[in-house]
Amino acid sequence: MVADLFRTEAVTKRFGPVEALTNLSVDLGAGTIGLVGPNGSGKTTLIRLLLGLVQPTTGRLSVLGHDPQTEPLRVREQVGYMPEHDCLIPGMSGVGFVAYMGTVSGLPRETAISRAHDVLEFVGLAEQRYRKIREYSVGMRQRIKLAQAIVHDPPLCFLDEPTSGLDPKGREEMLGLLAALSKTGGRSFVISTHLLPDTEGLVDQVLLLSAGKLLAAGPVERLLSTRSAETVVRVKGDSAAFVAALISKGLEVRPIGSDLHVVLPAGDTRPVFQAASDTQTQVRYLGRSVNTIEELFLSLVEAPLQGAGA
Amino acid sequence: MSISSPRYTAPSVDRLGRASRTLAVLRHELLSRAGLGTLLVVALAYIAVTLIVVFDADFASAAGQLSVSTYEAPFQSPLWALVILIVATAAGAGSVAEDRGSRSIVLYLSRPIHLSDYLSAKAGSIGSWILIAAVGPGLVAVGILAALGVGSATVNLSAAAGFVATGVLAALFFTGLALALSSLTDRALYAGVAMFGLVLSLDIGVGVVSGITGNSTVLYASPVTDLTSVAEAAFHVAGPYPTDPVSSAVLLAVVGGLLAVAAYWQLSQVEVVGE
Repeated sequence: MVADLFRTEAVTKRFGPVEALTNLSVDLGAGTIGLVGPNGSGKTTLIRLLLGLVQPTTGRLSVLGHDPQTEPLRVREQVGYMPEHDCLIPGMSGVGFVAYMGTVSGLPRETAISRAHDVLEFVGLAEQRYRKIREYSVGMRQRIKLAQAIVHDPPLCFLDEPTSGLDPKGREEMLGLLAALSKTGGRSFVISTHLLPDTEGLVDQVLLLSAGKLLAAGPVERLLSTRSAETVVRVKGDSAAFVAALISKGLEVRPIGSDLHVVLPAGDTRPVFQAASDTQTQVRYLGRSVNTIEELFLSLVEAPLQGAGA
Repeated sequence: MSISSPRYTAPSVDRLGRASRTLAVLRHELLSRAGLGTLLVVALAYIAVTLIVVFDADFASAAGQLSVSTYEAPFQSPLWALVILIVATAAGAGSVAEDRGSRSIVLYLSRPIHLSDYLSAKAGSIGSWILIAAVGPGLVAVGILAALGVGSATVNLSAAAGFVATGVLAALFFTGLALALSSLTDRALYAGVAMFGLVLSLDIGVGVVSGITGNSTVLYASPVTDLTSVAEAAFHVAGPYPTDPVSSAVLLAVVGGLLAVAAYWQLSQVEVVGE
């Protein structure tokens, strides 16, 4: 297993006037990493920076101990890449294409052909391997993109929006493939997605981006446990007045949807009921926040209103 | 029977080096351009050039007038340049444009090869096809004549050198042109039309301008005229030539090289391919 998967130090990337990534510093180890954020948050840009396909405006990067700027081939010898967009060669057969990509990655021709058959079997395209790619459905195209990314058995794979464009059944099947891959030791995956539920139960580390800025990065368990100190409160009545009352008591409050996430010192719930009493509101629900990655993301995106504890 | 989740495992394999990866791209490109149209044009070139050269040389030999210049006959027809242009277009117009159009260029560049390797492979394929069409027929004709005992070894070797020199220069120029125009667009059709438009308009245009102004210097701007001058000189045809053959040869090689560099520069500027 590789201990240090990739590292960025104060990386900023601008495309003309647009700042795609801002001062990004992360250090993640081997495993399955969820690169999570809404569209336009800089996920694809980060992957392309890590592959050495684009150069950072400022800052430094390292992938598997190599600098993609100065040693791009050393990096690309050890990685696989599944782009988000369609990028296949339509006139080739499935097996021909995957084998070809294997040879371009340095596999001997016979080995590449053999691996292509194996990997197409694994992704569920054994029956369609001799068909032209132009005849493939969206789901089959996603599968063959995954196949070409792993045909040379790289220790690290970047998968950019692997469930993009898939119907629910196709999505489940793709997530199943990714789960099976991630369980096979010795390989790490960076799975970029804006569909946060896709990462649940699949990734062990997460890198959350929003508008090119880092929200959080690290092991999922640690990030969730940090945030689970919050208490979820739902009230009926004048919610704004209730929030104001909580803030006046020095509490940190994050409205997330109709819920209020409140950080209670030492778990003391009395200020909540006091605030409800003061504002004539009813507390309809009060419980520990059971965070998912999606909730974690939302809690980080929503800025705290105020709070002495912040 | 037990059911377990699928696993993908593969034994580790020693990877081949950068040159092998580049050759893999070259091989794929070379084969993928072997379409029916390309093969038909190349076959016609072989048949036509071989027949013209063999019959001309045979008649000249019978008349006791065989010399290296006899072998230059195919270059007297504008069809020769047209055949080279068709082959260069078929092999080169889509070389980069199709990868840009399908966005598969991202897959190539995410593999352990440099952009220069990618373009070298593409150039190697285009150049090979042009050499097959431009040099091959002449060499086959010379080989047939040598086998028939027509012409001395010196004459046949000089003629072979003439075909090689002219074909290599044609390959240099048209490869650069195809790469440059193909890297500008994601439609092979646009690049192909641009290749034909540029070469033919230059050839016709400079001929008209030269005729009106009486200035023969503008003829250097036509790659077809440059190639004709080089061919005439290479086959020892008596002058005067339309342009100075040495200057034309240098011009074709330099412009071809510069166009290839322009293709590299153009693609290296495209940071976000396919967005």
